[in-house]
Amino acid sequence: MKRAGFTNPWLPILLLVPQLSIIVVFFYWPAAWAIQSSFYLQDPFGFGSTFVGAENYTDIAQSVEYRKVAWFTVYFTAIVTFLSLSIALLLAVKADNVLRGAKTYRTLLMWVYAIAPPVAGFLGIMFFDQSHGPLTRFFGFFGWDFKLGVDYFDTATAMIIVAVWKQIPVNFIFFLSGLQSIPRSVREAALIDNNSGVRRFWDVTFPLLAPTAFFLLIINITYAMFDTFGIIDTMMKGEPGANPMTLVYKVYLDGFRGNDLGGSSAQSVVLMVLVLVLTIFQFRLIERRIHYT
Amino acid sequence: MADLTQTQIAQPTPTRLRFKWSAVFDHLVLIAGSLLMLMPLVYAFVTASYDPVTIHREGLALTFGDQLGTNFEKALLEKGGFTKTVDGMVMLKNSFILGIGFAVGKIIISMMAAYAIVYFRLRFATFAFWIIFTTLLLPLEVRILPSYEAIQRLGMANTYSGLIVPLIASATGTFFFRQFFRAVPEELVEAARIDGAGPVKFFIDILVPLSRTMIAAIFIIMFVFGWNQYLWPTLITTDESLFTLVRGIKQIVLTYSDAAIPEHGQALALAIVAMLPPVLIVIFFQSWFVKGLTESDK
Amino acid sequence: MRANGSLVALNKRCANLNGRDQRLNNRSMEMKLLKIAATGLVFAATSASAQTEITWWHAMGGQLGETVNQIAEDFNASQSDYKITPVFKGSYEETLTAGIAAFRAGEQPNIMQVFDAGAATVIGAKGAVIPVQDLLAANDVAFDINDYIPGVRYFYADADGKMIGMPFNSSTPILYYNEDALAKAGVTPPKTWEEFASTTGPALKEAGYIPLSQSHLPWIFTENFHSRHDLPFATNDNGYNGGDTQILVNNDAIKAHFSAVKDWKDQGLFEWYGTGWGDNAKPFEEGKVAMWLGSSGSFGGLVQKVDFPFSATMLPYWEGVNAEPKQTFIGGAALFAMSGKSDEENKATAEFFNFLTSPEVQYGWHKETGYVPITEAAYEVAKKDGHYDEFPAAEVGIQQLSLPAGDNTKGYRMGFYVQIRDVMNREYGRILTGETDVETAFANIEAESNKLLERFAKTQN
Repeated sequence: MKRAGFTNPWLPILLLVPQLSIIVVFFYWPAAWAIQSSFYLQDPFGFGSTFVGAENYTDIAQSVEYRKVAWFTVYFTAIVTFLSLSIALLLAVKADNVLRGAKTYRTLLMWVYAIAPPVAGFLGIMFFDQSHGPLTRFFGFFGWDFKLGVDYFDTATAMIIVAVWKQIPVNFIFFLSGLQSIPRSVREAALIDNNSGVRRFWDVTFPLLAPTAFFLLIINITYAMFDTFGIIDTMMKGEPGANPMTLVYKVYLDGFRGNDLGGSSAQSVVLMVLVLVLTIFQFRLIERRIHYT
Repeated sequence: MADLTQTQIAQPTPTRLRFKWSAVFDHLVLIAGSLLMLMPLVYAFVTASYDPVTIHREGLALTFGDQLGTNFEKALLEKGGFTKTVDGMVMLKNSFILGIGFAVGKIIISMMAAYAIVYFRLRFATFAFWIIFTTLLLPLEVRILPSYEAIQRLGMANTYSGLIVPLIASATGTFFFRQFFRAVPEELVEAARIDGAGPVKFFIDILVPLSRTMIAAIFIIMFVFGWNQYLWPTLITTDESLFTLVRGIKQIVLTYSDAAIPEHGQALALAIVAMLPPVLIVIFFQSWFVKGLTESDK
Repeated sequence: MRANGSLVALNKRCANLNGRDQRLNNRSMEMKLLKIAATGLVFAATSASAQTEITWWHAMGGQLGETVNQIAEDFNASQSDYKITPVFKGSYEETLTAGIAAFRAGEQPNIMQVFDAGAATVIGAKGAVIPVQDLLAANDVAFDINDYIPGVRYFYADADGKMIGMPFNSSTPILYYNEDALAKAGVTPPKTWEEFASTTGPALKEAGYIPLSQSHLPWIFTENFHSRHDLPFATNDNGYNGGDTQILVNNDAIKAHFSAVKDWKDQGLFEWYGTGWGDNAKPFEEGKVAMWLGSSGSFGGLVQKVDFPFSATMLPYWEGVNAEPKQTFIGGAALFAMSGKSDEENKATAEFFNFLTSPEVQYGWHKETGYVPITEAAYEVAKKDGHYDEFPAAEVGIQQLSLPAGDNTKGYRMGFYVQIRDVMNREYGRILTGETDVETAFANIEAESNKLLERFAKTQN
């Protein structure tokens, strides 16, 4: 809160009303609905329902498959976050190094940001096509018989590659701006102290980038958990089968595809709690950083 | 590292040589990275020049076929659907309405809310903030059915506002603006108050102009986000004249599992059309975009 | 099933294929004219008062969607009292969910297309739909279930045999084969799986082909496996009698079948390319796989895509399980009349169903898409027109649906069946990639399916 604020009694309320009313109608009401229906098993058309207490939750807890999906989500999130951050960081450091063309590279590397996730997934399907995908051939060259949609590991690899590809631009832009905002004096001082470029990077530059990296970490975790939905959905080609999937996709699968409202709502609530934890973490992190700057 | 430093002056020759090599290496990495990012798009564009049978049999290609014009023409101008009124141009228009409507709506609403939270002594400011903050908890995919019911009850199905408003519920914009406003020097408000400017005048005359880059950046982010929506537009529009590009693409891709030959040439052409407006906006306004993006996390 | 194909597209695009299609093109035009003329006569007496408008949500994308639009246009042109508007709502699952969401909000369409796996959901919700048989009776449209092809009659019916949903795009699994490949290997298409394992498979492998692939393990190797061998698939008359249904999938016959399939895969007699339909069809289209189990509705698409002579035969069976194989049932989807609509609109829906089931429209649909005609009369028209002289493979599906019925051949009715299918696909995938063994997989399928069925029963109170 600003100390030097205004004290108009009705204006702030007026300002908040549009946002709050949208949130109540399209967020709190649906969330309450999800919490309520997580305690029922109901006919999707709304004719019958049975109160089942916590049964939907115990079913989740006991489901071996749900646990598998949860673990996949963890691996997927960790790998996508790590790869998209590190590749973007490498490119950003290089783009910061070069004298000429930094802006051209930035322009070239930004394109993919604007691609819709289903379109990215569609390109993924074509690149990993079993009989004539260019990347399938490429892997085949190294003796890897890549089979999208057949082999669990191969399918997961393809999903990760597409998800990383789609996320590199945002990370790149953030890292590059972060690097370019490091004062020249700091860089020069570092040059005097340290001859090795690599050591200089880890000792001086990286700590200065850490705030950006932390912020990006959270952004990327949310991306991998939720925003990859369109990619995964398209790459499944409409049939989940034995393919890997994330938790949010499972919610969609059971609720939207399978019409199991109770089970899917319980999964939503689990996700809500998970994201709440993540959000509090993020909130505290950002707040702390604001004190520093 | 352009500037010559003392280290370099002390040992001029070997350093300069090493620097040159490392510069070549830097460029190589960047070129490889750019290729990695762009090759899929090149493939997509080139493959859009083939007829569906060839694409079905041979997959992606790197040499042009002769159907490029045909596919783009079909994708953009062929009237489809039952009413024979939907073509690529209509979908393009709808995507623009969704993208711009969502971005503008979100900016106005979230700026107002952020202004109220940051600049007013309000007893429930923290509470209001948390109410808004928790909306990050539930992505639309997860709350889609109840949201749909809400839209229906409000009579907003098959309208542009029904398409746009529920997407605004998430509070990302409010956060970006809140962080930005908090970084605005407090002296400004004091100066404004001394000049006798009220809250409305301060907001419109000082804060909004000051937030220009921020607004531009959020506009771009939100435009791309709105433009790329798929699931929500599919669920709530039954009126063909409201279909968007991404939905149109998915509709063609959907026949993937069917035995009929999917019109992948047309889908790729449509994908490129769908990609261009957001890409062009991002590229032309990249300095604003970059500035806004990086400022938002401060 | 998702399989479909369209001779419309064929007419448009592949004017040089085998030289057959030019005739087809002309005939198609003739049929269209005939159709319009015929329907024009039937509805000539209608008045030109205000039109009743109805909507039809469907899941037919691409070329199939074009054909759906054509049917709707023809209906609108045939009379002036009613106007139907079809709306494409995405995949089968998306269409069903959109319909459910709309129903809850009181905005449902008049007609909704629901696929086989979603039938229990929509039929189970008492009051969501008007049984088509009641709808037609209430609006004085003659209806006799015996007019329909045997395999079509009871899939979307209730326990008493009353038809609830009007079968629309109906297909059944059949075996397609590459005639060149079989000639090269010196074999005939297999009638039984024993024959495939001992003779056809090894010969085709010898000739340099992958002998077999299939496109839908739950539909072809599970649901229709039980029907073909007349084995019970679930308790309570395959679930039709409702209540506490238990799946009976964990039986020796099907486990032996999947053990055999896995062995064939290991021996190079069978290949699996994932759960997606098209991924398994493609190697057959490319000529790598000699025989492919697909849908009778795949016929039209295959004509477009392959450049070798092909034909089809009935779904093979295990002689050791049942020496007198029975009929299979339909897959695909049906049209349901949603409740909560005015009498005028229901009348319009009934009239549209009447139009849709007329032999001419059914034959046109059959010919353009490859889906089976659902009535005997339409089948007769197709025969008289010489359609099967030209395309013998197009008749295999109907012949198979018209085989003798057994106790377990009318279909199945299980709730949350979309998820049950997903569980099957998942476990079958794991069997075929060697991640699990047949015993464990079927134990899992049984346990998870029964859990889902138990959960579904609780939604119905």
